[in-house]
Amino acid sequence: MYQELDKCPRSLLVCEKSNFEHEKSRHDTHVSKHYFNHKVSVVIPECGALSSRLASVINNFSKYFLVKNLPVYEFLDKDFLKNVVWNGALYALSYKTSIDQDNTIALLPNIVTIDLTNKSMDPEGKRYQRVLSGLKERVPLKSDFLLGRHNSGADGDRALQSLLSRYQWKEHRPVVSSHTLKDLPCPSLHALDLRGDQRSCDPHSFLEWLGAVSAGVSCDNTAASFLSTYVCPEPQTLVSQALHCTVSGLLLPEDIYSLLQELRRYFDEPKFTSWLSLTVHGFMDSPVSWGDAEHGFHKGGENFYNLVLFKNQDYWLHMGTGSHDRCPP
Amino acid sequence: MRRADIKDEPATYERLVYKNTSVYHYMRISLVLENESATLSAAQLKQLIVSGLRDLYGEVGGAFPFDLLKFDESTLTGVLRVYNSGLVKLWSALTLLGSYQEELCFFRVTQVSPFLLTLSGNSRELELD
Repeated sequence: MYQELDKCPRSLLVCEKSNFEHEKSRHDTHVSKHYFNHKVSVVIPECGALSSRLASVINNFSKYFLVKNLPVYEFLDKDFLKNVVWNGALYALSYKTSIDQDNTIALLPNIVTIDLTNKSMDPEGKRYQRVLSGLKERVPLKSDFLLGRHNSGADGDRALQSLLSRYQWKEHRPVVSSHTLKDLPCPSLHALDLRGDQRSCDPHSFLEWLGAVSAGVSCDNTAASFLSTYVCPEPQTLVSQALHCTVSGLLLPEDIYSLLQELRRYFDEPKFTSWLSLTVHGFMDSPVSWGDAEHGFHKGGENFYNLVLFKNQDYWLHMGTGSHDRCPP
Repeated sequence: MRRADIKDEPATYERLVYKNTSVYHYMRISLVLENESATLSAAQLKQLIVSGLRDLYGEVGGAFPFDLLKFDESTLTGVLRVYNSGLVKLWSALTLLGSYQEELCFFRVTQVSPFLLTLSGNSRELELD
């Protein structure tokens, strides 16, 4: 009678298992194509503090800028195009615009609808002039923007500063937070058991546990508890301590890749744990998830991926997107 | 007993696509009371929601389990976990709940997702100004 009441939005989770040293491993593509990242979370069981090398990588994440009331046509400025956009590694996303109710603008390394790197967009060409006049006169879009750029030369710095000097702007650094969890029930994972048949828990349960750790949810309730019956999935082990570190802001794929490379080296020395986890949350209001795949916000705006790294360079990759998004690559 | 120098064979490539296999949905909620100085415990909040479900759907219709995974008494915000089949009923009951102990109140649902992990990476909470 009330079948409609039992329905819920679609959920989609893609899981991959591979090894970083496989020549066909796509981990670098997955990281580099996920352009707009808001938060990174690292969970390391049996670890009490960040190593100096990890801390150094995290503290060297690129700065980014908040620019107020920036017209979109400014991205077509000749000097800016030549020295910043065409040198690649520039990311811009409109700030405080909700994709389900506002105009949302994003500048990708490879723009599809207006490909600023295409030869037809030569500043002396007719197409460039048409696009510029369109953005200035017919569709005068303006927004606050988050701008991030991976270091690529003095000319780019000068051109970017020239753009920023014409508007109100402020520099920001990613915010780092770290704490140690004590006596934590922790899933036991085996690299070869991605499905969770016997030696690991299933992917949904593992991601639920990660979410519980990130949100500070208790993992040791009883089945008879009135408030919550949530427990750590089986198989599990009790670890005396675990490190949970987060970085948030506008995080560039290049910096996340550097962090991933450093985390791969974590197991160069013997460790008590056999795995660690890196979660990357994309911006919920980004118009794209991976590459130019359209992303939307219907109920939750999911746009994340999670890497589980094992001792022998095996890894799992979990990718979650929104209910109406295309399947991750 | 394994020899220390034996390394596990590297994993072969495997890809799995799970569509609609998530069992639960998770909701981040906040309660706004007319009397801003009033507060309530986690158990009182859960009982409030249970009574709202019962009022809207009856003893049988509203009798499904859900978990209050986390509750902050100072900000009156919490995280709920519910089976997928109960999401619409729970969300609608929260929407229509309007009073607590004869004082006006309302629930604000700030985030809903089939992944608990998503609730701790909400970019809409980013404040830079």
